[in-house]
Amino acid sequence: MRGVATMSNIHEEEVKKMIAEITEVPEEKLTPDADFFNDLGIDSLKAIEIVAAFEKKYRIIIPEKDIPNIRNLRQITEYTKHLKKD
Amino acid sequence: MYWDKEKIKSILPHREPFLFIDEVIKIDGTEKVVAVKNIKDNEGFFDGHFPGKPIMPGVLIIEAMAQTSIILFFVDKPEIAKAHPAYYLGKVKAELLAPVYPGDRLIIEAEKVKFLDYAAITDTIAKVNNKIVAKANLVFSIKTP
Repeated sequence: MRGVATMSNIHEEEVKKMIAEITEVPEEKLTPDADFFNDLGIDSLKAIEIVAAFEKKYRIIIPEKDIPNIRNLRQITEYTKHLKKD
Repeated sequence: MYWDKEKIKSILPHREPFLFIDEVIKIDGTEKVVAVKNIKDNEGFFDGHFPGKPIMPGVLIIEAMAQTSIILFFVDKPEIAKAHPAYYLGKVKAELLAPVYPGDRLIIEAEKVKFLDYAAITDTIAKVNNKIVAKANLVFSIKTP
């Protein structure tokens, strides 16, 4: 099935684009398991911007207690994959 | 809901000549605060900005918007704000649309975008005579001692 876009990798690409835009981290560095804080140098202010952008796009409220568990592209893709987009 | 300057000073760490809110005239739940800065003829910054041609510096309009945002943060998270944290402005996306002159009554509206215990985002506008003179999206960090 190489070359065939699936719903889940389309979603992952969208999420990656959003994060790259907000954080100014190049997309090629945003690998699924790269830790936003330790590996990519994303600080706490960029983190709140990511949270606010996803809340707006998916019309959700991300509780503060969930934020420490959304630390890489894989986790944020998983967190948002069943949500309806704006 | 009305707050005078004394009440404002019990929340904001700022003092003259760097306190840019005179009154809070509306508090809409924990979502929005409306504050006022009356621009006096003898504001210190007019001495240099500019001699004989006084215009309020745009960065000070943004500062007033940031101070209004801190009031909103207090309304939403009083338990954090009462510990007198330090507020650091981290990112500003602003448009300055019209000049502000001595005698103007600057009305500043701050709305919550996202507040966490350690950081906050607001959307703000400033108006004079019902005309928007500035808009800004502000991101701050909040460091509790």
